[in-house]
Amino acid sequence: MKSVNLGIIGLGYVGKIHLRHSKKLGNANLVAVADISKKARKIAKDADVKKTFANYEHLLKDDDIDAVIIALPTHLHLQCATQVAEAKKHIFLEKPIARNVTEAQEIISAAQKNSVKLMIGYPLRFNTEFRNVKEKIKNGTLGEVEIANATYISSGPFFHRTESHTPTSVPEWWFKKELTGGGALIDIGSHMINLLRWYFGDIKSIKSLLGYRLNMDIEDSAICLARFESGTTAVINVGWFSQKLFLEVSLLGSVNHVTATRASQSRLLTAVQMLTTGTSRFSQSHFAELQYFVNCLINDSTPSPSGEDGLKDLKAISMAYKNQIQLA
Amino acid sequence: MSLVSFTKIRGNTINSVKQAIIESLDLIDYPFKKEIKNVVIKPNLCYYWDYSTGQTTDPKFVAALIALIREKTSAEDISIIESDASAMQCKHVFKMLGYEKLAHHYNVNLINISQDKSDTVEVKVGSQNFHLMVPRTIRNADLKINVPKIKYTIEGIKITCALKNIFGCNPYRWKFRFHPKLGETIVALNKAMRFDLCIVDGNICSGVAPRRLGLAMASKDPVAIDTAAAKIAGVNPRTIKYLQLAKKEGLGNTVFIQKGASLQYFKDRYPRKSVMEKLMGKAYSVVTDFGLNKRLGLE
Repeated sequence: MKSVNLGIIGLGYVGKIHLRHSKKLGNANLVAVADISKKARKIAKDADVKKTFANYEHLLKDDDIDAVIIALPTHLHLQCATQVAEAKKHIFLEKPIARNVTEAQEIISAAQKNSVKLMIGYPLRFNTEFRNVKEKIKNGTLGEVEIANATYISSGPFFHRTESHTPTSVPEWWFKKELTGGGALIDIGSHMINLLRWYFGDIKSIKSLLGYRLNMDIEDSAICLARFESGTTAVINVGWFSQKLFLEVSLLGSVNHVTATRASQSRLLTAVQMLTTGTSRFSQSHFAELQYFVNCLINDSTPSPSGEDGLKDLKAISMAYKNQIQLA
Repeated sequence: MSLVSFTKIRGNTINSVKQAIIESLDLIDYPFKKEIKNVVIKPNLCYYWDYSTGQTTDPKFVAALIALIREKTSAEDISIIESDASAMQCKHVFKMLGYEKLAHHYNVNLINISQDKSDTVEVKVGSQNFHLMVPRTIRNADLKINVPKIKYTIEGIKITCALKNIFGCNPYRWKFRFHPKLGETIVALNKAMRFDLCIVDGNICSGVAPRRLGLAMASKDPVAIDTAAAKIAGVNPRTIKYLQLAKKEGLGNTVFIQKGASLQYFKDRYPRKSVMEKLMGKAYSVVTDFGLNKRLGLE
């Protein structure tokens, strides 16, 4: 394969980021987008996407398309990913892989059965700061990492463009546990668990303390205590309760320590970066992961984070939900 | 001339808030009528962000007000009202912001006025006619209390306080469709649904960042209280077009008598916009008007 023809299914928040980046990828062409929303399809058309579909099944019938980016709500992952695999198209699937372990296993089986590649979207692995941390662990400059602190606090799905003329509604599925598989822990905790597993290997045991500040059926915060096979112990803090994004990983090693941060950036800086490079540094990792996925298809190599990675993350999250700590 | 009172909230308990509300109402000589039966309270619940952000009315503030109403009147029916909005639904916001717990504890109604029966009324603002829906819960109340916040909002409107909070009494969900004529619509809604009393929850104010201001502010005049709010937030009331329009349409006065603590005390502490932030706001408005915000990654 010399060049990859891509399709995107789902043009929500993340789908739009992928749309923007797909147009700038090397050795790839974005040829089609599917979304049930007419407004979303217009956005795709305005971005010069030639084929747009209301029903993604029509996109799957397009022989020109080699691979599909799935950016749908979590409860639709299983059905969509299975159909994409059966259409013999490679899959880039947004995290979390699925709502639960069983669904994740079915997605992996479908990809294997149809001999298509499956990558899970975890952009932090492609962020320069977090990659540098990985290098430090690999090079032994930290010694043995005894304790890791990983924090990801944001407003989750509840962010509102206060100065925008058209306020964005929170899609209804975010409020339903049966559709999301959980709250902040599965949503953004999956990012931190995946990143720490990349650093330290598999999780041996994990416990959680869940918070419900916003009185929802799903947790809006979680503190997890995890022990890795490598011996490292991690404290993972995640939450949807803050308007200000805070994403940081600190590793305390026997020789040295390191902290990597991904902070939100000003609008002015974003605008300048968009004008000069076509993407913001903030979303650079989203671009890098897509380019990597495309390269894997061209070089016929196995992408990572793989479906199995997504499954292991979900197993850890499932264990955390099961092993809850109760405090008075 | 209208009276506007400024009172310091001393402490963060329901009792300290209640004490401040009592003081603020005494300062404007507001007497609760004993025979009141039906009360409507309109907090500002604009989105799923709780009171600590300064964006939404603190349920503690409303709880203090309910306790006071129960003491002073024979109210049998007290309803907290809000409507669905483009980006927010009452069924979630009541739960998430603690109003379900409040309603249960104080035995009051939570009304999503988007699901209420409404009557259409015609209101004239300047030369424009507006056909607006007035929810029955509001129409039937014999005491209507507006409990807004003081916030910055989109460039053309500048300030959200009492008048803008009544925009949330429009039961129509897709309110952003009114944004091209937002100022006129706010005035029209206030003419269609006149509230008896405004008590500002200024305990935490959002400004450019949330700050505990410890302010309770009261007036019977929404124009006067909004003028005071604008001054506290460092915005010249004369530059707020809808405020001037509201005055012209007879909703109140922009001149008022200050009672209680000094306005300057709260103005000095309000997290105001710097000159740079004001310029950035204008620049963003221009960018948005030209539809460049998406291209620049600003949405």
